[in-house]
Amino acid sequence: MSNLTAGKPKIVPITGAGACAQAMRQINPDVVAAFPITPSTQIVEDFSAFVANGQVDTEFVTVESEHSAMSACIGASAAGGRVMTATSSAGMAYMWELLYVAASMRQPVLMSLVNRALTGPINIHCDHSDSMGARDAGWIQLYSETNQEAYDNLVMAARIAEHPDVRLPLMVCQDGFIISHSIQTMQLEDDKAVKAFVGPHLPYHSILDTAKPVTWGALDLQDYYIEHKRGQEQGMRNALRVIQEVSDDFAKTFGRQYNLFEDYRLDDAEIVLVAINSVAGEIKEVIDELRTKGEKVGLLKIRSFRPFPYEQIGQALSNAKIITVLDRSASFGAHGPLFTEISTAVYNYASNRPLLMGHTFGLGGRELTLRHIEHVISESRICLDKGEVGNRQGMWLNVRGDKS
Amino acid sequence: MSTLKTWQELPHGGVILEAGSAAKYETGSWRTWKPITHREHCIHCLACWEYCPEDAIVLEDGQDPSGGTRKFVKEVNYFHCKGCGLCVRECPVNKEGKVQALGFVRDEV
Ligand code: SF4
Ligand code: SF4
Repeated sequence: MSNLTAGKPKIVPITGAGACAQAMRQINPDVVAAFPITPSTQIVEDFSAFVANGQVDTEFVTVESEHSAMSACIGASAAGGRVMTATSSAGMAYMWELLYVAASMRQPVLMSLVNRALTGPINIHCDHSDSMGARDAGWIQLYSETNQEAYDNLVMAARIAEHPDVRLPLMVCQDGFIISHSIQTMQLEDDKAVKAFVGPHLPYHSILDTAKPVTWGALDLQDYYIEHKRGQEQGMRNALRVIQEVSDDFAKTFGRQYNLFEDYRLDDAEIVLVAINSVAGEIKEVIDELRTKGEKVGLLKIRSFRPFPYEQIGQALSNAKIITVLDRSASFGAHGPLFTEISTAVYNYASNRPLLMGHTFGLGGRELTLRHIEHVISESRICLDKGEVGNRQGMWLNVRGDKS
Repeated sequence: MSTLKTWQELPHGGVILEAGSAAKYETGSWRTWKPITHREHCIHCLACWEYCPEDAIVLEDGQDPSGGTRKFVKEVNYFHCKGCGLCVRECPVNKEGKVQALGFVRDEV
């Protein structure tokens, strides 16, 4: 990996996990506490090599569980350090209690989450049940379609999370194996340029500041708990602005523009698909193909799921006639988490009333091919022509035994 | 008028900026049982003082039989004593079982 250090930006072939490890090396955090779990393992593995080789100054804490990993991260962050970790699936589920603690204590812990199905039956492949389950924990969630996006999001993460108006933990999500283990070429920025962009970490009431002793993690009852939660919510609301500001500065510095979501051929689109992470790549390919045949179809790809930009998304979807949302996780007995958010955004902020349809796909790594996406779009067209969604709502795609 | 702060006035994450502010908190209001000292049986080993999670065993200086000064148990600070009973349980005189150096009684409020 030493050929990747210093100099100008380089185009490198690298896995998504490797890309995140490189971002961590460049950020050079004060503390990393992590416990390896598939498919995020390579991040921790590569990073431990950087520690062993002296390429970072990080205190690397090898813990005995993810519960301990997040506990160590919170402690190190409260002690005034810039702190990072990486995990997946059951690993993050084991952090559950501490995810809330990190957010409530307003500790800007940074996590590289490689999305993987939660167990039952045991499965190591991609879906979003881990991060979607954690959507109410109070973490900022940024999603990444490609290796480049996972890397770029992580480079931006510290400035968003540590911003005084935000001060919240942040997870950068990428699809397990599909992105984490696939080699794509991407632009790896210069170490010094990344360091300058990320900037220094400014501790907030460090417990190691003995001149000004403070108490972190105290009991909080009926008289103050809800005020602290309200402040936490404000951090999330402010994050919408800060994510955009940092993304704009990133674009000025490195030339790649990101927003709260990506609109792909959306302007005149009658049929709009909404999706998260790597499947957006396949959807774009199908859209390009169908556009040559005159089908007015577009994509809205989520980048920031928490905070969720309801107003901007509702406005961006104002011209759509039918919106088909693809959820890569199930909320059993309810619509998918992305579908419900999109419905809320459209109901409150879109200037028209498009048809809305939501499908579940890809659990446990089940593929969604170009043919399946074409099928979703042609079904959307049928609904649009009939003027109703009917029993096509809530399909599970590419499942044996279902008509779809 | 309420003296409690609004959410905008609070530092982030519930951090408490005033050192030693726990001393102002009346954990005594949690109490349903309370320890009472029987100094005639107390050997002043200070086990109760050491175990008390609320620092509610109050000490005083006194004369040691061998001539020096040392700490003796004076009383219980009921503003902080939450009635957990740890002191009662850890007292070696109480463990002997013949007499009690620390009693434990219902706290009638
Ligand atoms: S533990 Fe019992 S004997 Fe020892 S100082 Fe306390 S009350 Fe006295
Ligand atoms: S009952 Fe508990 S809080 Fe009260 S003096 Fe004994 S040990 Fe301390």
